[in-house]
Amino acid sequence: MRQRKLEIYSVEHHAATDIKKKEGRDGKKDNDLELKRNQQKEELKKELDLDDHKLSNKELETKYGTDIIRGLSSTRAAELLAQNGPNALTPPKQTPEIIKFLKQMVGGFSILLWVGAVLCWIAFGIQYVSNPSASLDSVYLGTVLAVVVILTGIFAYYQEAKSTNIMASFCKMIPQQAVVIRDSEKKVIPAEQLVVGDIVEIKGGDQIPADIRLLSAQGCKVDNSSLTGESEPQSRSSEFTHENPLETKNITFYSTTCLEASTSPVGTATGMVINTGDRTIIGRIASLASGVGNEKTPIAIEIEHFVHIVAGVAVSVGILFFIIAVCMKYHVLDAIIFLIAIIVANVPEGLLATVTVALSLTAKRMAKKNCLVKNLEAVETLGSTSIICSDKTGTLTQNRMTVAHLWFDNQIFVADTSEDNLNQGFDQSSGTWTSLSKIIALCNRAEFKPGQESVPIMKRVVVGDASETALLKFSEVILGDVMEIRKRNHKVVEIPFNSTNKFQLSIHQTEDPNDKRFLLVMKGAPERILEKCSTIMINGKEQPLDKSMAQAFHTAYMELGGLGERVLGFCHFYLPADEFPETYSFDSESMNFPTSNLCFVGLLSMIDPPRSTVPDAVTKCRSAGIKVIMVTGDHPITAKAIAKSVGIISANSETVEDIAKRCNIAVEQVNKRDAKAAVVTGMELKDMSPEQLDELLANYPEIVFARTSPQQKLIIVEGCQRQDAVVAVTGDGVNDSPALKKADIGVAMGITGSDAAKNAADMILLDDNFSSIVTGVEEGRLIFDNLKKTIAYTLTKNIAELCPFLIYIILGLPLPIGTITLLFIDLGTDIIPSIALAYEKAESDIMNRKPRHKKKDRLVNQQLAVYSYLHIGLMQALGAFLVYFTVYAQQGFRPTSLFHLRIAWDSDHLNDLEDNYGQEWTSYQRQYLEWTGYTAFFVGIMVQQIADLIIRKTRKNSIFKQGLFRNKVIWVGIASQIIVALLLSYGLGSITALNFTMLKAQYWFVAVPHAILIWVYDEMRKLFIRLYPGSWWDKNMYY
Amino acid sequence: MRRQLRSRRAPAFPYGSRYRLDDQDEVNQNYLADEEEEAEEEAQMMMASNSEEEKEEEEEEEKEEEEGQGQPTGNAWWHKLQVINEYLWDPERRMSLARTGQSWSLILVIYFFFYASLAAVITLFMYSLFLAISPYMPTFTERVKPPGVMIRPFAHSLNFNFNVSEPDTWQHYVISLNGFLQGYNDSLQEEMNVDCPPGQYFIQDGDEDEDKKACQFKRSFLKNCSGLEDPTFGYSTGQPCILLKMNRIVGFRPELGDPVKVSCKVQRGDENDIRSINYYPESASFDLRYYPYYGKLTHVNYTSPLVAMHFTDVVKNQVVPVQCQLKGKGIINDVINDRFVGRIIFTLNIET
Repeated sequence: MRQRKLEIYSVEHHAATDIKKKEGRDGKKDNDLELKRNQQKEELKKELDLDDHKLSNKELETKYGTDIIRGLSSTRAAELLAQNGPNALTPPKQTPEIIKFLKQMVGGFSILLWVGAVLCWIAFGIQYVSNPSASLDSVYLGTVLAVVVILTGIFAYYQEAKSTNIMASFCKMIPQQAVVIRDSEKKVIPAEQLVVGDIVEIKGGDQIPADIRLLSAQGCKVDNSSLTGESEPQSRSSEFTHENPLETKNITFYSTTCLEASTSPVGTATGMVINTGDRTIIGRIASLASGVGNEKTPIAIEIEHFVHIVAGVAVSVGILFFIIAVCMKYHVLDAIIFLIAIIVANVPEGLLATVTVALSLTAKRMAKKNCLVKNLEAVETLGSTSIICSDKTGTLTQNRMTVAHLWFDNQIFVADTSEDNLNQGFDQSSGTWTSLSKIIALCNRAEFKPGQESVPIMKRVVVGDASETALLKFSEVILGDVMEIRKRNHKVVEIPFNSTNKFQLSIHQTEDPNDKRFLLVMKGAPERILEKCSTIMINGKEQPLDKSMAQAFHTAYMELGGLGERVLGFCHFYLPADEFPETYSFDSESMNFPTSNLCFVGLLSMIDPPRSTVPDAVTKCRSAGIKVIMVTGDHPITAKAIAKSVGIISANSETVEDIAKRCNIAVEQVNKRDAKAAVVTGMELKDMSPEQLDELLANYPEIVFARTSPQQKLIIVEGCQRQDAVVAVTGDGVNDSPALKKADIGVAMGITGSDAAKNAADMILLDDNFSSIVTGVEEGRLIFDNLKKTIAYTLTKNIAELCPFLIYIILGLPLPIGTITLLFIDLGTDIIPSIALAYEKAESDIMNRKPRHKKKDRLVNQQLAVYSYLHIGLMQALGAFLVYFTVYAQQGFRPTSLFHLRIAWDSDHLNDLEDNYGQEWTSYQRQYLEWTGYTAFFVGIMVQQIADLIIRKTRKNSIFKQGLFRNKVIWVGIASQIIVALLLSYGLGSITALNFTMLKAQYWFVAVPHAILIWVYDEMRKLFIRLYPGSWWDKNMYY
Repeated sequence: MRRQLRSRRAPAFPYGSRYRLDDQDEVNQNYLADEEEEAEEEAQMMMASNSEEEKEEEEEEEKEEEEGQGQPTGNAWWHKLQVINEYLWDPERRMSLARTGQSWSLILVIYFFFYASLAAVITLFMYSLFLAISPYMPTFTERVKPPGVMIRPFAHSLNFNFNVSEPDTWQHYVISLNGFLQGYNDSLQEEMNVDCPPGQYFIQDGDEDEDKKACQFKRSFLKNCSGLEDPTFGYSTGQPCILLKMNRIVGFRPELGDPVKVSCKVQRGDENDIRSINYYPESASFDLRYYPYYGKLTHVNYTSPLVAMHFTDVVKNQVVPVQCQLKGKGIINDVINDRFVGRIIFTLNIET
C-alpha cells in the first residue's frame, strides 16, 4: 500500500503544468480513497491469514498480553474495547427509506412525466394570469401525470422494499452472552464486550462468542454448518493439526455452535479470543456479502436501455416539434403544451408496471415449481444465465450417504442408489453375503428414532453419523428389521470408531442358541481391516489370504476409491468357545480379545449419490448452451466421480490427468487443448493469476472445482463474469453468501440453506434440487421473449398516439386525440392485454438455443423499434385517422376542409364556423365534435391494438400454428380492452373532464379492415421470415 | 494485472458512462486500438498535452484503479459524442448509421414500396368512405343541433363599448354591419332569390343534387336597423342596432306555425336598465319560409334570416349585460356549457 502510494505521488513531481498538477492531485485523492476501499475488499477476498493456531500457549500469552489462568485485567479489556470496538458486526450504511422512495419517484420515465406535469401547471399559471377563465385542461393533465408517476413510484418502491436485509440474518446468529475470565474471576458479560486476549469458557450448546483459539478442550464438537456447510459435527481440541486455520482443530469460529464438551472434567472448553467483531471469519463474510455491490440484473439493464431509447425518442421528437411549432409562429405556451403532449404520447406510462406484473406472474409460476424468487428481476436473469456454478452436496446429490458398491467373493456388485433405494438387485445367495450382511447390521451404532414404522425406510430419521445411517438403511432394506436382528445378537462390548484406530468393533452373542461362540465384527478403513486379517471368505468358505487375494482386494479398493466413494472394509471372527466362555467379561479398554488374524469378508463403498433428475437436467442445460461448473469443498476424486455421473463431465471427455494416464506420459507433456474437462483444486486455484483463471474458464467446457473455499467461490464467480457470462451460483452455507450476492443470480437452498445464504440469494430452491433451476431457466427465457412481445405491443401505439399531435401542429387539423385520452389507452385499455402476453407459450423449444448474449441480444432492438414504430405503428395511425375522418366527414367536415382549420376551430369567439354543408357550428358544438373525434381515434387505436395483440403472440410462427385460443388470457385481455372502451364511451361519456363522448356504434367497426390488414401484413412478415431464414428480410424484420 | 483485465473489458463497453476524468487516456487508447478516427487522436493530444513520459506514469497509476467505480464526468459525454459521431458516419467502413450505402438504398426502396402500397390502401379506404357520404346532406346533424346564435357586428368581442360623441369608437361597428348587409341588398335579393309565401316552409322536392331556390330576405325588412335610413345604425344616437342570426343547420325546421322568436332582456341586473327594444321584423321571429336549408352545394344563394334588435333606450355610462334568447319548439337555450346555443350574451356600455 505504502509503496503504491509513493508511486502515485511521484507522478506529481513530473507533472508538466501547474494546472495539470492540480487536476492530478484532486484525482489522486479520489484514487487513494478508492484504492483503500478496493484493497479492503481484496483483502477480504484473500484467504484468512492467521498463525495463532501454530503458537504455543506461552507465545499466545505474549502476543496478546494476557494470562491464561487469570485472564485480562478489566482495565486492559476496557482499553482494548475502546481500541478495537465492540465484538459485533458493523451493519453497512443504510440508504434512508425516503431516499429510496424518492429514487423511485424519479427513476425510469418518471422524471420525464414530472417535467410534463410541471410544464402543465406552469402553462396553466401563465394562461390564468392572462385569462382567469382559462380552461382547466392543463391542470387536469398535470395532476393526472403526477398521480401516474406517484402511483408507479409507490408500486416500484413496494416491490423493492420487499427484499430483506442481509445483515439482519447475520446478526441473528450472534451469541448474546459469554463466560469470560477477567481479573482471575469468572464473569458473564455481553458477548459484545469481548476483546482480543480474553479467556472464555464454552459449554456444550453455547454459541462461540468470537474467533477462539482453544487452550483446553476434550471431546469438544462444533457445528460449523452455518459457516462452511459441512453438516457433520467437527471435533475440536487444543492441538494444532492443520496448517490451514480453517481446518485446524484448535480454532473455533464466531457464531458457530459448540455441540458437546461434556467429556471434559469441568464440562467446558477454554479458549483465547483471537479475533472479534468484523475481523472474525463470520465478520469478514458478512462484510464481504454486504459489501459486494448489488449488480444490476440483466433485465434491469435491458429496461434501462429501453427507457433510454423511448425517452430519447420522446425528448428529441418533442424538442424538434417544439422548435418547429415556434418557427411556425405558434405561441410559446402552445408549443409547450404540444411538447407535453408529445412526451405523454411517446412514454408508455403503464409499461414498467406491466413488466413488473409480468415478472411477478412468472415468479408465482416458478414458486409453484419450487423456485421461490425473491428479487423479481431475477426471474429473467435465470433465463439469460450462461454459466451455472453449482454446489455438489445437496444440490446435485441427495445429501445422504448411500451404499453404492459391494465387493465380496472377489466380485464387485452394484447397489441401487436411486432415491427410494428399494431395488437391490445384486446376487444375495452367496454365504459371504450372509456374513457380510450380518456384520453390516451388527457393527453399527446408528438407530432409527422410534415411532417411524409407517415412514418409508429412506425417509426415516436416524440417530448416528452419515455412513452408519447409510449402512443401517441399507441393511434395513435388505434384511428387514435390523433392530430385531441386533436384539437377537446381543451386543456384549463395542469399541466406537475413532480417528486413531480407524475401525469400529463389537462382539455379539450369536442368535443360534446352539452356537455358544461370540461373534466379533469389525468395520473400518479397508487397509487397516486387511492388516488384521489372515483369511478371507470366498463363497462362504474361509480361505487363507494369499498374495493374489490381497492383490484382488487392492484392485477393488482402488477401483471403488477411484469412483470417489468412501470404502469400508468388513471382517469378522468367531471367538473360540473354549477361550471365551459365555461368562467371559470383555473389556473395551484393555481389549482382552483378539484383534488380528480375523476373517476378511468384503468391502462396501458409499457415496452421496446424485439425484436421479440431475443428469437429465444437466443435459438440458447443455443443450440450452449453459455451462455447468461444479464448485465443491469436497475431494477432487469424489467431485469428479459425481461430475461424471451427472454429466457435468461428459462420458467421453478427459482431463489432462486422464490423458496423461492413458498415454502413460507426464502431465506436463499433454497438450492442454486435447482435454475438454478440468478438475481444479482449491490449492491450484490459489496459485492462479486471474489471467490463468480466465484462460481456464474460457478453454474448458467442463470444469470441476474441488476443495474450494468460499472466498474462492467468489473468485470463480468473478472470473466467469469477466467472460461476459451471466452467472448463476447455488449455495447454502453462510460462507456462500458473498458469492451468492456477487453472482448475477444467487440461488440458495431452501431446505439446507442458512438464513444468510437465503437472504443474499435472489432465488431459493425450495426442494434443493438442481433440476428446479432448469425449470427456472425455461421460465426466464420465456418471460424474456414475452416481455419483448409486451413491449412491441405497447410501443406500437405510440406512433398512433404521436401522429395526431404532429399533424395537428403541421397541418392544423382539429386535434384528433387529447392527451388525457392517450392516458386512457396507456393505462386503461392496454394494461391487461400487455400482461396477457406474459402468459404466451413458447414458440419453439427455447431450451434448445444458446443463452442470449448480454450485449447483443437486447430486449428492445432496432428491429423491434423499427417494426413497431414504422410499420405496424404507422398502419395503426392511418387506421385511427380513418375513423377520425369518418366521424368528421359524416358530421359535416370533409377531410380536405379540415386542413389548416385549427385556428378558426380552436377560436372560442367564433360561434358560426361553417362546415362543408354550410352549417354553422358554435364553439362548444365543435368542441363536442372534437371530443367525439378523440373517442373515435381512441376506438380506432383500440380496435387495431386488438389486432396488434394477436399478431404479437408470435414473433416467427404463424398465429394459427401457435393456436389462437391456447392462451385464454389473451381473450380476457381483448375483452377487457373492449369493455374498458365501452365504459369510457358510454359510461363516462357524460363527464366532460374525461373528453369522452358516446360514439355511434358503427364507428367502432371503421378500423376493423385496417386491423385485419395489420394481421395479414404481419402473417406475411412471419411467412417470409420462415421461408427465407438469414435473408435481408429475416435480419431486418425479426425482432 | 488489472490493466490487462481492463483493456479486455473496456472495448466491450464503448458506451461506458462511468469513466473517470483521468481515465481519458486509457479510454482513448483502447479506442485507438480499435481503429478509431483521427479526430479523436487530435482531441486527445489537445486535452492531454503532456509528455510521453508522464503519460506512462499516469497509466501506471491507472493500473491501481478499480474499474467502474468512478463517477461519470464530462469526459463520458465527450466519449459518447464521439461514439455517436462515428455511428452517424464511419469513414473507415463507409457506413452511416451502421449501414452501408447499398444497404441504405435497399432499405429506401423497400420502404418506398411499403409506404406506397400503404398509401394506396388508405386512399382506397378514404375513397370508398367518400363515395358513401353524400355531398348534399350531412349524414348526421345531431352535433350541430340545436342551433347556435350569433350577432353582428362582431369583431372578436361581445362587449360593445362606444362613446356616442366619438365616432371613432363606433365607426367600425357601422362598417362591419354595412359589409355584412351587402348580401341582403334589396336589388341583389330580388335578382337572385324568389319571394316565397311567408308563414310556411319553403319545401323543394326533387333530387338531392338539384339546385334549390332561396327565399328573399331583404335588407329593408330591417327597417330602422337596415342602415338605409340611418347609415350609422343608431350608434350615433346611442341607440345601437344589433343583428341576430341563427346558425344554419341543414334540414332544420322550426315548429309549424310557431316560428322561432327572439327576446332580449337584461341578464342578471336591473330589468329597467333596458327600457325598450325594437325588433325588426316586428314579429321578432325567423319566418318559416326560410326553412329548411338544403346545404351549401345546392342551396347556393340561401340567405340567413336575421332579427335586428334596436336598443332604443338603454341606461348610459354603465355596463349592461344583455341576453338574447331564441324561443320556440325544438330550441334549447339553457345548455350550461354552451353559451351560444339558443342564446347569446353580450354587454352594452354606451357612453355619452
